[in-house]
Amino acid sequence: MKKLMALAIAVLFSMPVSAAKPLTIKGSDTMVIMNARLAEGFMAKMPGTTIQVTGGGSGVGIAALINGTTDIAASSRPIRTSETDKLKQRFATTGFAYPIARDGLSVYLNTANPLKELTLAQIRDIYTGKFTNWKQVGGNDAQIILYSRENSSGTYTYFKDNVLLGKDYSPRAQTLQGTAAVVNAVAKDANGIGYGGAAYAKGIKFAAVKKDDKAPGVLPTLETVRNGSYPISRFLYLYTRAKAAKEMKAFIDWATGPEGQEIVTKVGYFPVK
Amino acid sequence: MKLKSLIIPVALSLCVPAFADDAKITNAAIDQAAAAVAADDPQEQEQKPQETVEDVSGKVDSLTEAFTEMKNTVDALNKLRVTGYIQAQYVNDERSANELTSPTATRNLDQFSIRRGRVKFTYTANPTSRFVIQPDITTSGVVLKDGYVELTEPWTSWKHTLTAGQFNWPYGFEIMYSSSQREVPERSRVVRTLFPGERDRGVMLSGLGLGDRLSYKVAIVNGTGTAQSFDFNKRKDLVGRLGWNFGAVDVAGSIYRGEDLVATSTNAKGREFDKERMGVDVQWVTPIQGLGIRGEYITGKQAPSSGATRTASHDVEGWYFYAIQNLGTRHQFIVRVDEYDPDTDVANNAVQTINPSYIFHWDANSKVMVSYEMIDNEINDPDDNVFTLRYQYSF
Repeated sequence: MKKLMALAIAVLFSMPVSAAKPLTIKGSDTMVIMNARLAEGFMAKMPGTTIQVTGGGSGVGIAALINGTTDIAASSRPIRTSETDKLKQRFATTGFAYPIARDGLSVYLNTANPLKELTLAQIRDIYTGKFTNWKQVGGNDAQIILYSRENSSGTYTYFKDNVLLGKDYSPRAQTLQGTAAVVNAVAKDANGIGYGGAAYAKGIKFAAVKKDDKAPGVLPTLETVRNGSYPISRFLYLYTRAKAAKEMKAFIDWATGPEGQEIVTKVGYFPVK
Repeated sequence: MKLKSLIIPVALSLCVPAFADDAKITNAAIDQAAAAVAADDPQEQEQKPQETVEDVSGKVDSLTEAFTEMKNTVDALNKLRVTGYIQAQYVNDERSANELTSPTATRNLDQFSIRRGRVKFTYTANPTSRFVIQPDITTSGVVLKDGYVELTEPWTSWKHTLTAGQFNWPYGFEIMYSSSQREVPERSRVVRTLFPGERDRGVMLSGLGLGDRLSYKVAIVNGTGTAQSFDFNKRKDLVGRLGWNFGAVDVAGSIYRGEDLVATSTNAKGREFDKERMGVDVQWVTPIQGLGIRGEYITGKQAPSSGATRTASHDVEGWYFYAIQNLGTRHQFIVRVDEYDPDTDVANNAVQTINPSYIFHWDANSKVMVSYEMIDNEINDPDDNVFTLRYQYSF
């Protein structure tokens, strides 16, 4: 029987294992353009290196990290305890987080909307369905049209945890795939409101966000995100199973270095430091 | 010709939401297509523009309506999650012998079989409630493994959850660790013996708080497991686990208090015996890359077998220890050592098992496991080692 076992193990070890695979980054749709630009920049600097970038959402990326189908997960939210538990069980690791950018999670309004600022409480009441008309927050007498993200999105989770304080989204919120789709929907809808990364500001305007009634409205800029005065800023992460080494380390070091951070800024996000 | 030319820009404009970053390109394409239409047949363009635009507008409206209906259907389907796995295996057991009838335990055990065939349906219509049902479909038949509803309170970060139905006993680590994830073919002997079937029927309260550090689960259950369709005694059992997450180390204590109704030589209707378990489990992600260590110790009181002459439960104890070494994403080397003493007052009756195992992860869904259980009885050790070659597909 021991011979049988030895034979079985020998057969399994002889199975082909693909070599020289490209480095893969999967996850956050918010980060996909930035990651693609970073990958292009790194590959141009390091010929012979191949980095593949795909989206799908932060949850999808972390799931891929857990089942071993991606080298790096891109996530616009911190990893969850339940996800860390799965990493512990499958790979005996708690995972490693590398912040590569900061983002001012922005609230999008149509350019025709006369409103300029909203308090965090107003945003929460709008997205939880308590307020359904713009006049309830000082705007026009028109129904508020909510645009949101799918629940596999890290942006969806971050917004729910930090702005809605864990409360559920209104069932009237329309779910769209990707921040670009949210921006486009708000750009076409005079009564629309959306949220997402600061890098997607095309055809819409940002609402200045107030911590409370008395606080001044703050727009997401490099300065306000850096000094913490913008109330909903977050880090954007790359997660790995093991501590980054070799090619992976070189890429992350480069992405968090001056050249990488310049690309981060060009795309519309903010440097980590 | 003209209709086609108009549909193209309209279709392109419909693509805008999905490709907002390419909005400039898309708008340029629309302008080009529109120019092509104008150049195509200027006279016809002037004669029937209104009619054609209305025609296309109607088509767009009908497409939008169809899309909305389809989205509603997809949204409804998204609430239902179907997962599952199948374990096909070959087992070579040293106890095997050719025999047409099996009055003893010597029947042939060398065989191919479907060890587990699970399909789990989870329906989550909203975040405050959930429906779960999981049958096990194998060559032996179909049995219900999990079947419960969950209600989760939305007011606190603990997300206290009430579960009612048939579910895993909230005790220790190995019981609640899925068989699709476990690194050896079967649970340890102590767990299989003291928690047969790993499930019971009842209600459970659970939650996770203090920065996701503290977890608790407490349940009131029948105490008969799932092998019986009903509960024999009126008393219900209490079982619970309290865990703390230190980061790389997870530690938990568990307790079970209940009664077993057992027919004795003097009472055929049965009398109640103490059924108690208490223990601790630890999972450690070591500083050595890819090396995980797990262990659990259980002690307690076990009721005697039916027809026994005993007047009290006897003391039992057992433990297991896992060392799991990952190499890359595909290879896992595992050793589990476990021991079970069915009566601590009786000498030399413990059973120890050393179970080396190897897993090759073929892809994200498939893995192959090779395992060899070396079973060692303290006295009268028979030839009963077991070799298992298992293929698992999960989705």
